[in-house]
Amino acid sequence: MPDERPILADLKVLDLSWIVAGPTVGRALADFGAMVIRVESAARVDTARVVGPFHGDEPGVENSGLYGSVNAGKLGVALNLRFPEAREVLRDLVRWADLVSESFTAGVLEQWDLHYGALRRIKPDLIMLSSTLLGQYGPERSVSGFGTQGAGMSGALDLTGWPDRPPAGPYGPYTDYPAPRFALTAVLAALEHRRRTGQGAHIDQAQAEATLHFLAPALIDYLNGGPALQRRGNDDAQMSPHGVYPSQPPPDRDEAWIAIAARDDADWRSLAGVVGGLDAALTASQRRAQSREIDSAIAAWTVQRSTDEAERVLQAAGVPAHRLASTEDAANDPQLAQRGHFAQLPHALHGQTVVEGPRYRLSDTPGAPIRPAPQVGEHTAQVLKEILGYSDEQITSLAASGALS
Amino acid sequence: MLTHLRVLDLTDQRGVLAGQMLADLGANVIQIEPPGGSRGRRVAPFFGDDLPETDWPEAERSIFWAAYTRNKRGATCDLERAEGRELLRRLLADADILIESAEPGAMAELGLGYEQLSTDFPRLIYTSISAFGQSGPKAHYEATDLVIWAAGTPLLMTGDDDRAPVRVSAPQSWSHAAADAAGGAMLALHARHATGRGQHVDVSAQISAAQATLGQVLAHSLGASEPERYAGGVKVRGVGFRGTTEVADGWIVLTLAPGPAVGHFVNHAVRWLIDVGALEAELAEENFVDYPDRLLAGRADPELMPRIQQTMQAQVRGKSKREMLDISIAYDLLLVPVLTVPDLAESRQLAERGFWREFQLDDGRALRLPSAPLQISIDGAAQRWDDRPPPRLGQHNDEVWGEIGLSATEIAALRGKGVI
Repeated sequence: MPDERPILADLKVLDLSWIVAGPTVGRALADFGAMVIRVESAARVDTARVVGPFHGDEPGVENSGLYGSVNAGKLGVALNLRFPEAREVLRDLVRWADLVSESFTAGVLEQWDLHYGALRRIKPDLIMLSSTLLGQYGPERSVSGFGTQGAGMSGALDLTGWPDRPPAGPYGPYTDYPAPRFALTAVLAALEHRRRTGQGAHIDQAQAEATLHFLAPALIDYLNGGPALQRRGNDDAQMSPHGVYPSQPPPDRDEAWIAIAARDDADWRSLAGVVGGLDAALTASQRRAQSREIDSAIAAWTVQRSTDEAERVLQAAGVPAHRLASTEDAANDPQLAQRGHFAQLPHALHGQTVVEGPRYRLSDTPGAPIRPAPQVGEHTAQVLKEILGYSDEQITSLAASGALS
Repeated sequence: MLTHLRVLDLTDQRGVLAGQMLADLGANVIQIEPPGGSRGRRVAPFFGDDLPETDWPEAERSIFWAAYTRNKRGATCDLERAEGRELLRRLLADADILIESAEPGAMAELGLGYEQLSTDFPRLIYTSISAFGQSGPKAHYEATDLVIWAAGTPLLMTGDDDRAPVRVSAPQSWSHAAADAAGGAMLALHARHATGRGQHVDVSAQISAAQATLGQVLAHSLGASEPERYAGGVKVRGVGFRGTTEVADGWIVLTLAPGPAVGHFVNHAVRWLIDVGALEAELAEENFVDYPDRLLAGRADPELMPRIQQTMQAQVRGKSKREMLDISIAYDLLLVPVLTVPDLAESRQLAERGFWREFQLDDGRALRLPSAPLQISIDGAAQRWDDRPPPRLGQHNDEVWGEIGLSATEIAALRGKGVI
């Protein structure tokens, strides 16, 4: 029973955030009907615009699939906050908004008198999300950085890679992945609180701290006298075998891999039944002791097969296995297709673009992006006129001042 | 903020973070386990594992379970038995959100699937966390953290380019899914205000894992080339850019690139290198924001940027991570240390923010745990809702089952029969 009116249709969001962690929150709200105004400056466009993947591999500020996906459904307003006139427009947008989301380096908004304390004076029930690498206070709060630095500051970088090699790190800015989920949940909780009490809230998120919760068991172990976890390739503390094995690549690729894990003795017996030449009676500790020989035997089997075949045969036998999906595999994955994960949207410059779908399926009120991400400043005049009620003369004069660049 | 909400958390090791996220925002979360303990209590690491002998009770040894049941109450209930299911239904009468992570179809087999419960509990928000989602051709795939990471695409992008791809050395996939489930449940709560009804929130860990690709999961769909893996940095069309640099006691991440995005950090680095006498003072005039443009126009020295990079490398090599962090803060550089687990335990930033908390358990032990992942203030007053240590197996049975009106005698009888 899909409802006619989106569930967040009354929610107004001013999104001043940057790159991935903050914008992802606004994107999720926009999927469910919130009006989200994304502010950026043409003088220094969002870094996500210069990061790929790009349409047709062509770099360009309107070609980024990353920017496109984390900003789909938003309206784009260009404001250069170095101009006092732009800061006045911003204050008007704050008066309009229920939620302000920002990720300026801690301290920057104070210089412009646009920090939470100042904005609360003009909008007492404001909900504000401040999301930075290390949080709003503390001796290291001003550390500059993107998520890649966050991966370093959260332990994720050191804990990814081989024990005999320098740290490899996860793909990209790892703190940008856990952080928006905690932030979205908290923002929705703050809206719930405001609905009940009329009170606003300020949410101080350190993206590194969010990520530490994804590594909490390792940290707690060490904090309470246990050993310090170190990177260990694909080894697992309990599962064995557990790894990534070479497979027969398709003609147009030079490598292909499959992930295989034995959770317990039953999985091991099933795996041994498929691969052959393995002793199905080995216990987990025996398997661990012989892991080199066992891994070689598994690899000798996988390398003769396509990932497609190996995955099919192993899953049919009840063994956890999946090819290491390339993005081409993902585009052709019937499971992702069934969930509509790759959402197509008409796009003024590209004809059509593709963004990721929502990360949860709500049975009665499913969300979806309704428009592609804005071009830089695409909706500036529209928003100033229709939402803030500025006259054409005001807008022309603001544009002449440079504030709308 | 969520103190009026009641959450029944039926998850095992898959998705157990979701309920904690709601608990840390104030919700009353009850972790329901089978009487013998959740499978999550057998997940590593373990307290006392490095000692020859330990006096930790077997059911309480899982650090994993302690980490993600912090701030919840714990009760037991055997859902395989009709009496147990009846008890759960009585709890559901007052519950807003249920979270479960059983194999798709398993809850329905017990008569506790969404379709079955939504008739009697139309306002219930039923949240399911699974590897691939509740339906579809892979819904019944066998899965682990590694398998999900492979299916969601981040695994192929990660690691050294001359070896097999690697995952993060501590399992991540289910936490990504759990964190999405918490957000999905909160969206459904707001939907309930509009519709008066609960609904089914279906989270696929495969899709949650795709978040960890910086949008690269879209590459093929957009006609872009496949991302390439490269240790400590990125590789673009076969050319690697390494961000990690070795220093005296480990590694740092150092970005030193001219241009409009991060060129001002090069200016800052030059200032430091002049101050330590490694570069001549005249270079303070140089602007690395427009350096690439000037280079193209033939108005910049092509040798300059490589020379700065080499000078920087030479200067950082003998320094410690901590020294370099202090310099980074003082000069505003794009440079951070690669922190290890011991570094994090000693972090002054985390200490200042009160990130680690010590709990006294009722058996006299002290336990250091992280506190809530966000700091929230309302009308200028800091709020926190994270005062509970992780529950022992069945610790709150008397309380929880008492709250639905069972007498002490009835609870004792249920305990005697092994239902709780």
